[in-house]
Amino acid sequence: MKHIRRLFRIHRIFVVQELKRMMEYKGDFIVGVIGFLMVQCSNLLFLWIIFNNIPNLLGWSLNEVVFIYGFSLIPKGIDHLFFDNLWAIGHFTVRKGDFDKYLTRPVNTLVHVLFEKLQIDALGELIMGIALVCVSLPQLQIEWSVFKVLLGIAAVFFATFIFTGIKIITASVAFWKKRSGNIIYMVYMFNDFAKYPVTIYNEVIKNLITYIIPFAFTAYFPALYLLTGENPLYNVGMTVLMSLALMSLGVFVWHRGIRAYESAGS
Amino acid sequence: MKRIFKIYTPFINAGMQETATYRVNWVFYILGSVLGCFVSYFIWHAVFLSGSGETMNGFSLPQMIVYIFLIFLTSTMIGSDAAWAVGEEVRDGSIAMRLIKPVSYNATFLFQELGNKLLTEMFLVVPLIAGLEIVRTVIVGRVEFSVVNLLIYLCSCVLAYLINFFFNICFGFLAFVIKYLWGANMMKNCIVGFLSGAIIPLSFLPETLGRIFMLLPFASLNYTPVMIYMGVYQGTELLYYIGLQVFWALFFFGLSKLLWVVSVRRLSVQGG
Repeated sequence: MKHIRRLFRIHRIFVVQELKRMMEYKGDFIVGVIGFLMVQCSNLLFLWIIFNNIPNLLGWSLNEVVFIYGFSLIPKGIDHLFFDNLWAIGHFTVRKGDFDKYLTRPVNTLVHVLFEKLQIDALGELIMGIALVCVSLPQLQIEWSVFKVLLGIAAVFFATFIFTGIKIITASVAFWKKRSGNIIYMVYMFNDFAKYPVTIYNEVIKNLITYIIPFAFTAYFPALYLLTGENPLYNVGMTVLMSLALMSLGVFVWHRGIRAYESAGS
Repeated sequence: MKRIFKIYTPFINAGMQETATYRVNWVFYILGSVLGCFVSYFIWHAVFLSGSGETMNGFSLPQMIVYIFLIFLTSTMIGSDAAWAVGEEVRDGSIAMRLIKPVSYNATFLFQELGNKLLTEMFLVVPLIAGLEIVRTVIVGRVEFSVVNLLIYLCSCVLAYLINFFFNICFGFLAFVIKYLWGANMMKNCIVGFLSGAIIPLSFLPETLGRIFMLLPFASLNYTPVMIYMGVYQGTELLYYIGLQVFWALFFFGLSKLLWVVSVRRLSVQGG
């Protein structure tokens, strides 16, 4: 318990530090958020134009598609907001030998890396995700219960760590290969598939994003449960399981990687 | 001409070596980016299954597949990091090193990037076009591939690259005014993506809007080459759009020269 309290305190110190840094560059941060908002808007425009040409997308209405799309942005945005520093590990921290600094501090390296940065640009995704869910909800006939709301929140929480877990595993490759930024990128891009109803894909893609790189559990399955109320054990339960499995694997691979880490000679 | 070539050959070589060093990284990057095409493919596949007709705004499904992958190929081929590179050099002051050399500032970037592209594009164009045409032949049941269109397409891509390069140089000079180029760059890519037809074919837009977009320089970047490849533009129409590309290339070339003169006066590099 004391240990966890200490971690929270460290996190707060890092966040305050980040916020101070950000206040120095207020303009930058606004531009970044607007940039992310615009990227999402252009995707929405795409959906809207498509739905002008068809009555529904293989049985999915525009509102349902928007709901799933919006839901997918929430865990993605939260992970992006808090744990973006992993990209830096893959792109340059290890290659330049800067990783040494984490090894000299009295905090677990993974915790330190995760806590260090706050990527405020991610608010663009997060705001958009929440807005889309809110806009599409009134048009959808969803029966709400306390249980459902709680499961929905739990799903978002665990889905976030599916993103984080996948990023930790792929970022760790850098400990052996010096850089892995584009490996993170390649795997991460699979989340694009998860923004749309999984039923539009063929079996190969469907199985891939359900069982191998399980991004489908960050959006489609939990959103499906919220939309229909069906099968919470699979739709939300698997989200929790996948999340725990990926995080455990991530922690394991990370610590194996640190053993293999050799600093850059300079 | 020979002298110019001699001056800039080292820049081409440097660009090639840069790419060769990070080739594995590049492969992963391309694989990650191509995934977006597959997402689009499945969405359009579902759209055509849900729609009533065989074609939609002039596109059949096989044509749409060609469109999606060619838009990707074209954007990769004409992509330019110039805005980013210029911005970074302005910020960290290494622009000073280029200024003291008796070479054209823009041209050094251009040739370095060309070196980059010579390597990468050979590895991308051949497999992608070959794969795409095999798939198309199987789906349609007859060969629709045209060598002439491919050649004109490649020429059109060169023009599109020049437009994009000089446009990006102009944009990079914004770093003299605003400090945060990263977010601005993302906004720019998003707007250009939409206006150039990379997100949705321009024929899906309302007619007047589509027509206005066709005149803007961004349609020349992506939409025009792809339409040429697909054989939509023929005869005088083809000449008109190529002419438009030439016009925009010259326009941004001139603008970048002008901005260069204006902004280099504002440049102050600290330290040394």
